[in-house]
Amino acid sequence: MSKAGTVLGVGSVTANFQSETPLHPTAREFLLGAFDRGWADPEKTPRESRQAAILRNEAKEIFASHLQVPSRQLEFLADPSLGFHLGISGLLTPDSTLFYSGVDRSEVFAVAGGCPGEKLPVSLDGSTVYPAGKPLDVLAWQAINGETGIRSAAPHGFEGKIFVDATAAGHLTELPHNWSTALWSSKAWQGPAGIGIFAVADRSTWRNPLPHLDNSISNSEYSLPLAMASALALQAHVAEYAANLSRILEINTFIRNYIAREIPDVDIAGNIESTVAHLLSFSILYTDARQLVDDLDRRGFAIDSGSACSSANLEPSHVLAAMGLLTHGNIRITLHNNVSLDQVQVFLESLKEIVEEKRK
Amino acid sequence: MELNCLGMRCPLPIINLARAIKHDSEIILLSDDPATLADLAAWSRMTGNSYVILGPNKYLIKRL
Repeated sequence: MSKAGTVLGVGSVTANFQSETPLHPTAREFLLGAFDRGWADPEKTPRESRQAAILRNEAKEIFASHLQVPSRQLEFLADPSLGFHLGISGLLTPDSTLFYSGVDRSEVFAVAGGCPGEKLPVSLDGSTVYPAGKPLDVLAWQAINGETGIRSAAPHGFEGKIFVDATAAGHLTELPHNWSTALWSSKAWQGPAGIGIFAVADRSTWRNPLPHLDNSISNSEYSLPLAMASALALQAHVAEYAANLSRILEINTFIRNYIAREIPDVDIAGNIESTVAHLLSFSILYTDARQLVDDLDRRGFAIDSGSACSSANLEPSHVLAAMGLLTHGNIRITLHNNVSLDQVQVFLESLKEIVEEKRK
Repeated sequence: MELNCLGMRCPLPIINLARAIKHDSEIILLSDDPATLADLAAWSRMTGNSYVILGPNKYLIKRL
């Protein structure tokens, strides 16, 4: 599939470089049938329920093998962002300090607003120095930053409990040996929205921060068909990612070299070694991101931006600001498994023309 | 020279600053755009110029 299909309300696109993708075809095909099979409550015993229970266990086993977490530690969440509260607040005690970083997601900041915390500074290269902490302290650790693609160093020296934000990293997450809770989002592997995967390493150090009768978190309802569709999307995505990785890495390198050579005054986040192959963020000095997004869209290229002028609240991306990167003229590229070098070449030539025109 | 960019949205304050600093080696920039502080730091790093925060929405920029 070389064409990325149609973006809602935008018309046909030549290439989709946004983080969102259409649902993986495998997941879509499954979903159509699954709403017929997966409607029963897996806790009950009639035949339909047993079928649903089998489906749930199959889904958990797929997640367990690709996310490298025992299936008994996994739970599904209907609302992935609820996982930030469950994962962090569930580890906090009245004596805990929460350490987090300036490039964390705003959901982490929201939890941090309600407890003693310390926001750790971030260097220009995206790195953070983690403290040792005390055993009751909690660290919110982001495996990969979803805006810049920069990987975080493993917080092996931290002596407290660690919440792993794996929402952007997906199957590329390497859980540190001392992790306590972890959260993945189905969207990282072309799965459906509305399903999160949450894990607790050791139930004895975690308590459910939501109103509850027992310490399980499965009182949160979720859609079993979505969970299974997400598992199938993950399975297919992992294989496709591996098959395309060296090609995607070449395309990423090509983009970086092209920009360095052809478009002056561009601030690129991280380098080819510090980032994942499929994500790339750069800011073009003296340009307006809103105009770049619109002009590129007219030429058939769908891109994301972290700039203030392209966001609803007019605030620049807190990630770019925390790293000290230029916040205006920002473009975020996601290289999906089906992207081609031809598409990228045309995109870059269009971008160069647009930037030269705007800078006149 | 004082450059009044109050009420302007990014990237206009930085674009105007870059134009103005070609003619004056020191500029006092007035800007209340939420991106200005972050962008001044990045612009200074990229262009080699320097800046000092004088107060709320007020900056002194010195040409390299």
